[in-house]
Amino acid sequence: MTDKSVYIQVNDLGFSYPDGTEALKEINFEVIEGEFIALIGQNGSGKTTLSKCLNGLYKPTSGDIVVDGLNTKEGTIVQMVKRVGYVFQNPDHQLFNNTCWDEVAYGPRNIELSEDEVKERVDEALIVVGLPEHLYGEHPFFLSKGLRQRVAIASILALRPKVIIVDEPTTGQDIKQSLEIMDFLKNLNEEHGHTVIIITHDMPIVGLYARRVIAMAQARIMADGPTREVFTKADILEKTFLAPPQITQLAQADPSLGFDPGILTVDEMVEQFKGLAK
Amino acid sequence: MTSVIEIKDYTWKYLHTKAPALNGINLMIEEGSFVGIIGPNGAGKTTLAYSIDGLVPGQYNGIKKGTVNVFGKEVEAYGTGELQQVVGVVFSDPEAQFTAMTVEDELVFGMENIGLTIQEIRERLEWVTELTGLGDLLLKPPYEISGGQKQRVALAAVLAMKPKLLILDEPTSMLDPVSRKKIFEVLRILKTEEDNTIVVIEHSLENLVPLADQMILMSDSEIILQDNTSDFFKESGLLLEKGVHPPGALHFFHELSRQGLYDGDYPLTVEQGKNLLRQITQ
Amino acid sequence: MNKTLLGYVPDESPIYAVHPFVKLFFLLIVSLFPMFVSAPDWNIGLMVVIIIFMWISRVNMSTLKIYVPVAISMGTIIFLSYTVMGGTHPEFELLARVAGVNFYWERIRDALVVYFRVLPMIFTMVFFLSTSRERDVIVAMRSIKVPFVVTYVFAMALRSAGMVLEDFHIVRQAEQARGFDPAGKSLPYKIRQYVMYMVPLFALSLRRSEEFTNALVARGYAFTGDISKVKRADYILTHYPYKYFDYIFIAIIGLVFIALLIFRYGFGYFQVDQSWLIGLLRDAVS
Repeated sequence: MTDKSVYIQVNDLGFSYPDGTEALKEINFEVIEGEFIALIGQNGSGKTTLSKCLNGLYKPTSGDIVVDGLNTKEGTIVQMVKRVGYVFQNPDHQLFNNTCWDEVAYGPRNIELSEDEVKERVDEALIVVGLPEHLYGEHPFFLSKGLRQRVAIASILALRPKVIIVDEPTTGQDIKQSLEIMDFLKNLNEEHGHTVIIITHDMPIVGLYARRVIAMAQARIMADGPTREVFTKADILEKTFLAPPQITQLAQADPSLGFDPGILTVDEMVEQFKGLAK
Repeated sequence: MTSVIEIKDYTWKYLHTKAPALNGINLMIEEGSFVGIIGPNGAGKTTLAYSIDGLVPGQYNGIKKGTVNVFGKEVEAYGTGELQQVVGVVFSDPEAQFTAMTVEDELVFGMENIGLTIQEIRERLEWVTELTGLGDLLLKPPYEISGGQKQRVALAAVLAMKPKLLILDEPTSMLDPVSRKKIFEVLRILKTEEDNTIVVIEHSLENLVPLADQMILMSDSEIILQDNTSDFFKESGLLLEKGVHPPGALHFFHELSRQGLYDGDYPLTVEQGKNLLRQITQ
Repeated sequence: MNKTLLGYVPDESPIYAVHPFVKLFFLLIVSLFPMFVSAPDWNIGLMVVIIIFMWISRVNMSTLKIYVPVAISMGTIIFLSYTVMGGTHPEFELLARVAGVNFYWERIRDALVVYFRVLPMIFTMVFFLSTSRERDVIVAMRSIKVPFVVTYVFAMALRSAGMVLEDFHIVRQAEQARGFDPAGKSLPYKIRQYVMYMVPLFALSLRRSEEFTNALVARGYAFTGDISKVKRADYILTHYPYKYFDYIFIAIIGLVFIALLIFRYGFGYFQVDQSWLIGLLRDAVS
């Protein structure tokens, strides 16, 4: 097994807003290169605040975060953006330019790359997200939500951050669109080596894609571990007001029946059922 | 049983699109029923909801063929504002629906529009506040409450007008699981205690399925499947093909069925699923 | 703390007991006072009275510091337009001639009069806005039977301002997340930043306005047709009953105004030549 390095170190992080609300308390964890993490929790649990601390948008009130050797309190905007990318939930909040091509170029131009480099990165990013070429010159406003989201992701990819944080990738999408965007993120993770962190409360999606789950409630981390493991901790999940996917709940219904409580998909459960029936 | 909605051969094409948004829709919904409409994005579900409330063609330009009858009258035959007194719509974006300065003003806005007296307003305000649990929030402005609370306000504001037909267009798509449950809880109470006809468009099947009497599947501008809930999900193959994933418990039993390992009704809730599981593993 | 249009006023402030209509009445009538009063002494006195009212209402007095630069720049503009732009008037008394500009006594006197007329009018407006929550302004307008459409548009404008501010913060963060760092950059660069904000804010408003219009229609609101002629119950007014002191305040404000008119036109009070301050100044420059 390759020894992957720790890319992000979060040490005793605390964050309070200017008006005094404590949004994060005593947060400790590490992110290793190549992980696929789901950050879950109720609205208001602190998950969005935490992710904004990870990319330097917010500076810790106490404790610190070290990304690739750089403390977020000291890093400049340009330095942070090359390391951790953040895709906002509503693509409309982050589309500033008149054409999709310029939109994706916005980031690389901000970090002052040569026009040749910019062109190379933009072309690459747009191919990776699968945006049809005839849309390169179109105004992002007129695209469908799914395509706008892709342009938003491409614009972050063009900065080539090792870590990509995506805020609520599946909210408002139908199942097919959700799976498409998640498959795409999975590809980014497995084929292109990006570390992916998704912020979500869509439990079935978490079960299908995330290898590690960090569950938050009331400004703290309640659980942190492999997906199956976290899903079996029913009492802790209860504190986050989130329930595991229905299929997992079914498997956990009655321990005496013999199903693995960490079941994540219908197929797994069917297989186990057949195994138990023998 | 009178039909509340009667749609015949209805086709609608928005002015600037190439293909019609709705193509040859035939639909009949009876009074008092709870209907769920599901399907991929772009199937025409929202356009259908808007057609029933007169927003299409009222607010949009396009070409209409066929008829859309609500409470026995064509949608276009109603005067301005008349249809809205009997049909209530809750939209998916909590932000965009807040039309007043405070929660209380929001609840009262619709009632004032239809000309109720102060006494009537007071009574309905109390009823709707209790039903949706908004008592503590009455004087708060929209920017001080969460998305889930805003949706409850939107639902309450529409209910205060006591519409006989209630349409909800993806009411919980922007909400977290807890807020989602709260909305469906209100719908459950409405179903058992009141006599509205309720139509819900949703992606979140696990909350919808236990409540719906009837389910409709839409895809590519057409209605592909329409049946009572239990029989509807026997067609899970078709559903999966169209990108609809039944709730986990139901899906499991369908898979078992498909592989010839189970031969009975599908559970509509996790609880039913658990019970069934115990039974069949005995 | 309650958020008013220009700041915050604590919950226990006595101003909340006063019916919003009284506040509006105060604004409308008292801001007329300076129009009939030329003598700056009286107008300065009015300003002091209004400041005292603000203090009684527990308005955060330190916010008044914001208006000092406004007052100074306004005074400068008025002074300049009455002197530098004043032109040549041989019928006036020339006090001095500096760098080709004529400084006439009458002009300077008039500048002072105008300045001290405008200041109390602004202060009355500041007082009203500092002590009125959004709801108070709506109620005040409804109580004088302003058409519903107007109050509604006003309320929505206030609300959109709040929403745009929220969006603005998120857009700013989104820019930062794309490596946009305004620190140490030139002014044209920063101006470009503000122009960039417009795009997403505009896009968001456009998207919301369609849904908002649909929501309005779905709530039975119509701008035209029979339905719009329905008599509205104005439920919000039930929270604001008039109390005895509201009537007393209204009467006092009205009577003071009438008294002012009587003294001004009947007895010739408040004229410039009677002003103690102007007299003092006159002696100083002679």
